[in-house]
Amino acid sequence: MESRMFRRRTALRAVALTSVAVAAVALTGCSGAGDSGPTKITFSYLWGGEEAKALEKVIADFNASQKEIKVVGVSSPDMQKQLTSMSSSNGSFDISDKTYALPIAVHTQQLMYNKDLLDKAGVQPPTTMDELAAAIKKLTVTDASGAITQIGLGNPSTSTLFTTLGYAFGGTWDGKDGKTPTPADPKNVEALDWYTKTLTDAYGADKISSFTSGLGQYMSAQDPFYTGKEAMVIDGEWQAVNIPKVAPNLNWGVVDIPAVSSDLAGSTQVSTSTLFIPNNSKHKAEAAKFLAYMVGDKPMTDFTLALGNLPSKTSLLSDSAYDAIPHFDAWLNALKSPNAKSLSSQPYSAQYSTDLGTAFDDVVRGVATPEKAMQSVADKAKSY
Amino acid sequence: MTTTAKRGARRQTLLGLAFASPFIVGAAVFIVWPVLASAGYSFTDFNLFQAPKWVGLDNYAHMLQDSTFWKALWNTLFLTVTGVPLTIIISIVGAHFLNLPVRGQPLYRALVYLPTIVPVVVGGYLWRWLLNTQYGFVDYFLGLLHLPQPEWLEQPDWGKPAILLMCLWTIGGTMIIYLAAIKDVPGELYEAAELDGAGWWGRFRYITWPTISPVTLFQIIVTVIAYLQIFAQPYLLTQTRLNETSGGPGQSMISYAMYLYQNAFVFLKMGYASAMAWVLFLLTLIITLLLLWSSKKWVHYGSERD
Repeated sequence: MESRMFRRRTALRAVALTSVAVAAVALTGCSGAGDSGPTKITFSYLWGGEEAKALEKVIADFNASQKEIKVVGVSSPDMQKQLTSMSSSNGSFDISDKTYALPIAVHTQQLMYNKDLLDKAGVQPPTTMDELAAAIKKLTVTDASGAITQIGLGNPSTSTLFTTLGYAFGGTWDGKDGKTPTPADPKNVEALDWYTKTLTDAYGADKISSFTSGLGQYMSAQDPFYTGKEAMVIDGEWQAVNIPKVAPNLNWGVVDIPAVSSDLAGSTQVSTSTLFIPNNSKHKAEAAKFLAYMVGDKPMTDFTLALGNLPSKTSLLSDSAYDAIPHFDAWLNALKSPNAKSLSSQPYSAQYSTDLGTAFDDVVRGVATPEKAMQSVADKAKSY
Repeated sequence: MTTTAKRGARRQTLLGLAFASPFIVGAAVFIVWPVLASAGYSFTDFNLFQAPKWVGLDNYAHMLQDSTFWKALWNTLFLTVTGVPLTIIISIVGAHFLNLPVRGQPLYRALVYLPTIVPVVVGGYLWRWLLNTQYGFVDYFLGLLHLPQPEWLEQPDWGKPAILLMCLWTIGGTMIIYLAAIKDVPGELYEAAELDGAGWWGRFRYITWPTISPVTLFQIIVTVIAYLQIFAQPYLLTQTRLNETSGGPGQSMISYAMYLYQNAFVFLKMGYASAMAWVLFLLTLIITLLLLWSSKKWVHYGSERD
């Protein structure tokens, strides 16, 4: 029963880094292993636990499928350590000045709702932002002292929620070129204003803070969405795999993120887990073979199914293998949307997401207006 | 000196150096060289992956306009200025209690010292629980006493007190050193003072305080350095997910060392981080020298050296 503070303000860094390297994988060659026998390559990854198990199975399948290459998997969840171990003075990530990576799994965000709570309040799953605001109002319950006991829209990660809302309002976070931080995009500010008006101003930042400070740990049995303390939440497809395991009795549904206008229907935020080969790898060709294998139809399906992630190939989106996961199609379909956007992976991304996280936090705590907060990030971004 | 004796002396020197070589080589490779290298890197733009690019004083100039830098410096100085006196005062008072002739005193001393042997990461997670608004014991007991129950890690005003609380929890080490110092004060001085009609304050002010002042100087310097470099406590209290550093609500808990770490290992701005490290080093040096200089006025050594 960890409190919400453990995960509140989970910086958007999680997302930004996901697209840079959180799930990034390095293939560093180690030893030539002589003329006979397979070439050994090391595959370090950031996954652990169940997810690592699924990955090891893919590796074992690959090793069994051929004789030239033997892949050794190493779970190394410390990204900084992994990055630095791959560093070398000759620029490990640059291949002719471009950095290449292959996505193995992707993620989208959708609006999940607690069917029982919506039925009780007589609310239909919202399809527009106005409907969402109205639903939040009906689904937020306060006691006699004004303390919140149930909130209409939960907030597992302020950064993910706010950046996703920014996209839903037609904003962009990295400019049209995908290389320039544009936190103060008027549409982003509009999105944050919408949130502030709907929640912070309506119920008071202090009341919301008291409520969230006592919430249970994300994705545990005490997750506030699972326990009905949050009626709706914008979250990723991994929930579809986690809920049957952790909260099998939860009666839930999922819809597209409500649209501000029809041209913005199906807006969502995509993040990626990527694979790459560092430039200082001794066996790039062998590593490339393994990567090619991993992003093949079957390994990708097996892996993403085990993790409850989305495949990174549109051809696999309608694969019947995913039918086994309840409501999974909502997130799968979101990938086909023309309004699926994602944060850029740029050298500035880590710092940008930290600064955004701080600014978003100021907005949630009601100490800065969205406009002021986003302007402060824009000022900082000038020196990235 | 005969040739043999000369040769023997040289042999002795070489042998000595050989025995000391693990340290000499280790210090050169792992301490001296990195320190010098960081000075060099502080004038470059360096992201670990590409060759460092010379930027002159840019990194130092950037600090002047980096609002997070100033916030982190302010937080760190605030913690130092409040934490050090609290540490000294509580330790001295506590040491007096631990010096009382009561039954079970060894047990109390052990209890006071116990938290210092808890690894700081374990302590950090423990305190996150203790300070939890919903389930934490701190707010629970405050509630029993009808006192306000702050949201320690959620409100900017309470973040730094939470860090201080966690730091002062491990005050046992300092207290035990003070206890030893107090026990060293010659008993006849107190007897003489009592005959002259000195009360408890007089005895402390004119006998205990001057006699333990060398210990106090040492404690102040060590504690100041520890607070200026504070990292683990705020890092653990504000940590969100692995590899993610947050600065707490409104960056109220970001310390200088935390921001340095973020720059180095999250933003991969090694040059800027190196520059920050040097600024911290110089700041620490200046404060320590000031303390040593001031000590002439208030530290008394039993054996007058000159």
